Amino acid sequence: MPVFEIFQQPREGKAFEHGGNLVAPDVEMAILYAREFYARRQESHSIWIVPREAIVEISDQDLLHPPAVDRSYRSVAGYSVRDTLRATRGAVAGSNQPD
Amino acid sequence: MEDQNHIEEFTAFVQKGGKVEPGDWMPDEYRKAVLKFVEMHANSELMGVLPEREWINKAPTLKRKLALTAKVQDEVGHAELLYRVAEDLGKSREDMLQDLLDGKTKFHNVFHYPTYSWGDVAIIAWLVDAAAIQSQKALLDSSYAPYARTMQKICWEESFHIKHGYDIVITMMNGTQQQKEMIQEALNRWWPPLVMFHGPPTPIEKDRDLHYRIKAKHNGVLRQEFFAKYIPKIFELGLTLPDPNIHFDTEANEWKYTEPDWNELKMVVTGHGPRSQERLDLRRVAYADTQWVRDVVLGKAA
Amino acid sequence: MDKQVQETQSPQAFDMWGLTPLQILLFALADDEFILGYRNSEWTGIAPILEEDVAFSSMSQDEIGHARLYYELLQELTGTMADKLAYSRKPNEYLCCRLVEHRKLDWAHAIARQFLYDTADHVRLEALTHSKYEPLANATQKIIREEKYHLMHGDMWLTRLAKLSTDSRARLEGALVVLWPDALGIFEPLPGEEQLIADGVLPGTMSDMCTDWLGQITPYFYNLELPFPATLDERTGLYIPTVEPVYGGRRGQHTGEFTELWKEMTSVYRLDPEAVW
Repeated sequence: MPVFEIFQQPREGKAFEHGGNLVAPDVEMAILYAREFYARRQESHSIWIVPREAIVEISDQDLLHPPAVDRSYRSVAGYSVRDTLRATRGAVAGSNQPD
Repeated sequence: MEDQNHIEEFTAFVQKGGKVEPGDWMPDEYRKAVLKFVEMHANSELMGVLPEREWINKAPTLKRKLALTAKVQDEVGHAELLYRVAEDLGKSREDMLQDLLDGKTKFHNVFHYPTYSWGDVAIIAWLVDAAAIQSQKALLDSSYAPYARTMQKICWEESFHIKHGYDIVITMMNGTQQQKEMIQEALNRWWPPLVMFHGPPTPIEKDRDLHYRIKAKHNGVLRQEFFAKYIPKIFELGLTLPDPNIHFDTEANEWKYTEPDWNELKMVVTGHGPRSQERLDLRRVAYADTQWVRDVVLGKAA
Repeated sequence: MDKQVQETQSPQAFDMWGLTPLQILLFALADDEFILGYRNSEWTGIAPILEEDVAFSSMSQDEIGHARLYYELLQELTGTMADKLAYSRKPNEYLCCRLVEHRKLDWAHAIARQFLYDTADHVRLEALTHSKYEPLANATQKIIREEKYHLMHGDMWLTRLAKLSTDSRARLEGALVVLWPDALGIFEPLPGEEQLIADGVLPGTMSDMCTDWLGQITPYFYNLELPFPATLDERTGLYIPTVEPVYGGRRGQHTGEFTELWKEMTSVYRLDPEAVW
């Protein structure tokens, strides 16, 4: 029997998250049972039902976390301005800048 | 179908903070307003690529080269995300790009100005991005849910852009006299467009985007937030602003500045800025040169 | 395509022998990645499809990142900072191959170059993972894993351009014909190569790698019926190129296009090479 993966939107405006899956012979029955298994406590604002075979996965870490290059240049943590900022402030304070 | 009650109900819903999904019912006016807003945002990301792109092959260190390429890449990526949001409202990407190239739709004022030195790259990355983030953060609360979610991703991805710009500015302000002058000159060039960045103060009742909470903050409020956060940082580095009237008014609790010529803003965004046509021409040529690729890969050629 | 390459300097102008064979190898590797990274970033912001713009830009950043790794190995050896190695040399002191020098042309050209370069570089990297010079073996073991994406990308695009329309196929074939001699130049023998082989730094000759490369990519060109300028030597079972390779890059001889790029990429740096940027 086909497996359907279920994605739940917890509240209005929020992104969908994977909730789990269920088996059902067809989409119509999956809709009925998804409501039972993923919404009967009213925990979902909306539900997506996706046939498992429609999902394409990438999990190769060479693609997702390529190991060679230091990519900190594209993160805030890759820049340490503290020392240069202090030096610049010091130079400004030392000159005769008007307030 | 669009009876007045239904529209009023919808309006009350979004004004209370309600979120709208693409499949939900929405008034035609709302759909058009969101589309126009997001489309201009997407256009701005795409055109915003061009001033900085000119410097990708001139960056002076390996790290600057990597960071600038990554920043411009992000902007293209963000154009893609925003065009996707807009497409779901009923206009194809192809039509949006064509309208942009034909001058029928607009892009943000700051991307109509020239760059002259590496100092411009620093000021754009620091202050233009800072002004943009100020606007974009206010969109995290947009009533159009896919837009708000996309802004979350965009704001997160762009967080390094400002830091990269700030890092260049501080490094150069800590450097040679020539470097300091490059930064000051660039700041002098960019300050007037930056003051105009958030748009003229529009009465709230006339601002349709505010009315529907497509955006959550008034132009003037965003400008003051930007000033409050960045003017002190600018002064701290020993830089000056090319506006004799700029000062913090403690009584009014806001920054006073010389009111810009709002007519200039209007001229600039309607394609009469100093680099409007050159930038559009570059896009037109690039688009035409690569049309065959889209025809082949996106399935239009035999 | 301009067949008459313009020499920037006579070969003698740059004294190769001031460099050790290991340094020559590292500069060749670094400069290939560095210059190709520059050329590919010319597409950033104006590529044919927004999604592809982002993808191609990542590959350009990978190349600059790999160049930085190689320059850092040279920094260890020479005591000169990686940035200075990258930006302060004269044009005839760069040892990149001619293939990476060409400025941005059309998309078929970009894809053809990328495919030829990445597949060739893969053969080179595979060999270098066995280098007895440990820092290089370590670096290439990581770099080769990042190249997986490049190979997937090249495969996807080459196949599509070859198959989807007569126009795209003609463009691709045209680009390949122009690029083949330059691509063979990736494997130009390095000055001092014998020494590198004797020391185990280089596990095989450039010429052997070239043969391996031709053997590895044959199925692509055979299946897609694309121009493949090599013949099978029935006796040895190896492919021999039938076009003359363009050499000179490894000796610092470059095209006018390279000099133009050099002027651009060092323009800010040269304002004040002693300044911190």
